[in-house]
Amino acid sequence: MTSIAQNAPGKTVLLMGNEAIARGAIEAGVKVCAAYPGNPSSEIVGVLARAAGELGLHVEWSVNEKVALEVAAAASFAGLRGLCTMKQNGLNVASDFLLNLNLTGTKGGLVLVVADDPSGVSSTNEQDSRIYAKLGDLPLLEPASFQEAKEMTRTAFEISEQLGLPVLIRSVTRVSHARGNVSLGEIPGSSAIPRFDTSRPRLAFPPVPNHKVLHEKLDKAREMFETSPFNLYRGPEKPELLVVTSGSGYMYSLEALVNLGLQERVGILKIGTSWPLPEKIVLENLRRADRILFVEEVDPFLENNVKETYAQNCFTLGLKSFFGKASKRVPEVGELNPEVVIHAIQKLVHVSYEPRPADYTERVREAALDLVPVRALGFCAGCPHRATYWAVKTALALDGRDGFVLGDIGCYGLGMGPSGFGQMKTIHAMGSGAGLACGFGQLDRFGLEQPIVAVCGDSTFYHAAMPALVNARYNGSNFLLLLLDNSATAMTGFQPHPGTGSTAIGETAPVVDLKAVCKAFGARVEVVDPFNVSATVEAILRLLEDKRGVRALILQRECALVSAKKQKRPYRVKVNQNRCLGESCGCNRLCTRIFKCPGLMWDTATGKARIDEAICTGCGVCAEICPASAIQKEVA
Amino acid sequence: MNKGLRGLEEKVIRQDLCAVCGACLSLCPYLRSWKGRVVKLDDCSLEEGRCFAYCPRTEVDLDSVYRRIFGKGYEEIEIGPFRKIMMARATDPRIIKKAQTGGVVSALFEFAFREGMIQAGVLTPRDEALLPEGKLIKNRVQIIGCAGSSYVSGPTLEALNRGPWKEKERIGIVGLPCQVLALARMRASKLEKKTPIDRVDLVIGLFCTWALEYKPFMAFLKERVNGLSIKKLNITPPPERILEVTAAHRLVRIPVDDIRSFIRASCRVCLDMTAELSDISVGTVEGKEGWNTVIVRTAIGENLLKRARRAGIIEARSLPKDNLKHLIEASLLKKRRALDMLKERGGIEKNYLNLSADLVERIVSASGDPKP
Repeated sequence: MTSIAQNAPGKTVLLMGNEAIARGAIEAGVKVCAAYPGNPSSEIVGVLARAAGELGLHVEWSVNEKVALEVAAAASFAGLRGLCTMKQNGLNVASDFLLNLNLTGTKGGLVLVVADDPSGVSSTNEQDSRIYAKLGDLPLLEPASFQEAKEMTRTAFEISEQLGLPVLIRSVTRVSHARGNVSLGEIPGSSAIPRFDTSRPRLAFPPVPNHKVLHEKLDKAREMFETSPFNLYRGPEKPELLVVTSGSGYMYSLEALVNLGLQERVGILKIGTSWPLPEKIVLENLRRADRILFVEEVDPFLENNVKETYAQNCFTLGLKSFFGKASKRVPEVGELNPEVVIHAIQKLVHVSYEPRPADYTERVREAALDLVPVRALGFCAGCPHRATYWAVKTALALDGRDGFVLGDIGCYGLGMGPSGFGQMKTIHAMGSGAGLACGFGQLDRFGLEQPIVAVCGDSTFYHAAMPALVNARYNGSNFLLLLLDNSATAMTGFQPHPGTGSTAIGETAPVVDLKAVCKAFGARVEVVDPFNVSATVEAILRLLEDKRGVRALILQRECALVSAKKQKRPYRVKVNQNRCLGESCGCNRLCTRIFKCPGLMWDTATGKARIDEAICTGCGVCAEICPASAIQKEVA
Repeated sequence: MNKGLRGLEEKVIRQDLCAVCGACLSLCPYLRSWKGRVVKLDDCSLEEGRCFAYCPRTEVDLDSVYRRIFGKGYEEIEIGPFRKIMMARATDPRIIKKAQTGGVVSALFEFAFREGMIQAGVLTPRDEALLPEGKLIKNRVQIIGCAGSSYVSGPTLEALNRGPWKEKERIGIVGLPCQVLALARMRASKLEKKTPIDRVDLVIGLFCTWALEYKPFMAFLKERVNGLSIKKLNITPPPERILEVTAAHRLVRIPVDDIRSFIRASCRVCLDMTAELSDISVGTVEGKEGWNTVIVRTAIGENLLKRARRAGIIEARSLPKDNLKHLIEASLLKKRRALDMLKERGGIEKNYLNLSADLVERIVSASGDPKP
């Protein structure tokens, strides 16, 4: 039995925030869970997939977030509890459905968990998803701790059913990915048989009366939140400064006050039900102090909402000073940490505190140098994407028309850096590479002569690039789509997808064939193995020359990390030290200076290249690019 | 210290001065040719490189290069050093049928093979798309298939650098003026050599007024012959100067003036029409259809021609005075135009030639009259 599914009420277990959310859903009796992976949200449905068998759940990796939310909503319409999870970018994809679902309402509890990535550590953007709650008139909860992550999720299902609305839970990286003790609750027994009530159609139309009903539901939610245990005040009756915070900001604020020794002077109002704002609680606590500091991650959501409430009631509250992102007392962008909060509080209450020596960061960096090998942000050893970009770089240079690569979301996004030889020139949303290519591919009529190349991973293709390919065919756009088929959703942790032949819970699934899909859409399709560099270069050049409509080149080679788990390395690679030209004319370290696979090492003592046997995956690509045939591969 | 690939890129590639001779290719992973262009794939940080040293368009001291090949400096300014000038043609009808003009080049090359002067060679055939490519020749049968021209220069010397060559093979090469200059620079270079230049025993040079830019020229031809496959290209000698295109079974005649815009910028700064740095140079005789002009320059060239005549492979006559006069005039005209172009591009020294002011003056004021 997986630990997440154990029915052991009262037991305390160490859980990751995302596992706590999953456990909360289990304790709520969730039946249908659907998601598209994306950091920092992926583990929620990942662990639910592992527990699906024993708990009798339906858990799926959907092709994209919109479909995932629709799948979960269907369960809700039929009276079951449904969970949908995604990262912040995913909510943008799902938002079209979400902003109609709010009008049609729900039946079984429906919870949408969005994990935001402040600082965009593993994202292309930094986005505050809470704004969607306000936009869609939907209740929003923000967990601050692991226990609360579990409790809030469980409670969110109840709130959803009481209101007939989906409930949003907004997590952030440090809540989702940190671990802490969680006390388990009971797992309920079986639920009702699902049935869609045909006498109660779910129609957003007509919007105006439905919108009115939605506002009434929101008023009800506000009323419920006034007594929610997720909102609390800690501190003296009349603090010098009131910190208003939510989510991760609560833990940072607590830590800051302990470090500064200000627990008796500064109070904290923690809001767990961030939308609709529990106005009575807010007003009551604003009366405590005249100086208010907001601590929250990404946008001034709480800050602006509290200020709105204050403005409505300023005659009775009197003058107040507000500090936060608007006054730049708290950084407007980037992730928070206790130090940032300490810094902000310290300036407002005039205590001096040096949390760390001034050169602390520098010293940590220096100390780390001895412990950790210096490595650029780049592809793994033996990654097929490096070989792909090598071929792209070569082909575009030979072609000579200043062609460029429109990027997409996936590991291959690193193609913008040295690992991909700086080839990728745009990166936006899922499927945007192919979408932009649709547009660029129309500009030849105005004189654009540059060849257009879009890259897209297999999972990204199913997610959002397919419509772009259909559009290209229909509207007659000219471009080359490189489908980097590594048979994995690698960047988010190897979740299966429609092309992999297995489902989220590990069952065999029919393979949705990339090549057949592209063909059916009317694209000219070729398939090549990127490890065969010269064949790949030739294929790209050939397809660049042929300007008749959209061409797809499928670069088929399994992710090196997936391969390594299944089989031993295909080649044993070594460098013939006598042949290696090193830095002399004729080579000048092509392998370690330009190609830069981490499996290759430059030996400063001998002035020759070597193979790092511990890292080398034996793909043999470097043997093909070595100009002196010094790198040799033998079948292992 | 030369300036390595960075210098080559700055002074040659970006200035559109690359002649696509192939001397820098297959020596280096950062340079490759593709469809008539040499492409830089990545930056190289070396301060000194063979790419720069061998290039016929980087800074060059012609005096020292000529001294290395002929034992004397750049003195014979008209058509370069020579021992003999004549007109000749091959006697083998099989060769004449395939040849661009008189078949002398193919006949001499075959003869050098037959006589054991060379055991291998590099020639420049064209693929189906008329793109010239360097080809290793390991036996005589391969030679005749390489005859002809598409008036586009190709990276012949890439094949020399690439090989592979057997230990004892002596090599013969047929090359354009830019290519024979590159070969001479390879011979003269003090840099470490991994090229088999020391085993190149025979260099036959081809007269060349200019070569054309592959891609636009082919696009132009394709349109003019309605996409038919092209069998042969031939430019008739002056004064007519017509490009004859044999496409399928049609002959399309195009005035040379219509294709001048495709002349490579690199050819416009070239001083050499008669491939002066070769053992023997071969061109076309004006007004005598089926005859080649032959300039014998070295002892090797002289020996080859003598033996070939004796063996009856080559039929030779003296070149009429008028033809010699025209040849010298044409050669000097190319030199003067190149000097003008170099001046226009910012000065002779700044570009690549290390020629004394005295020599420049002699070229500018020389008459076309043959020396007594």
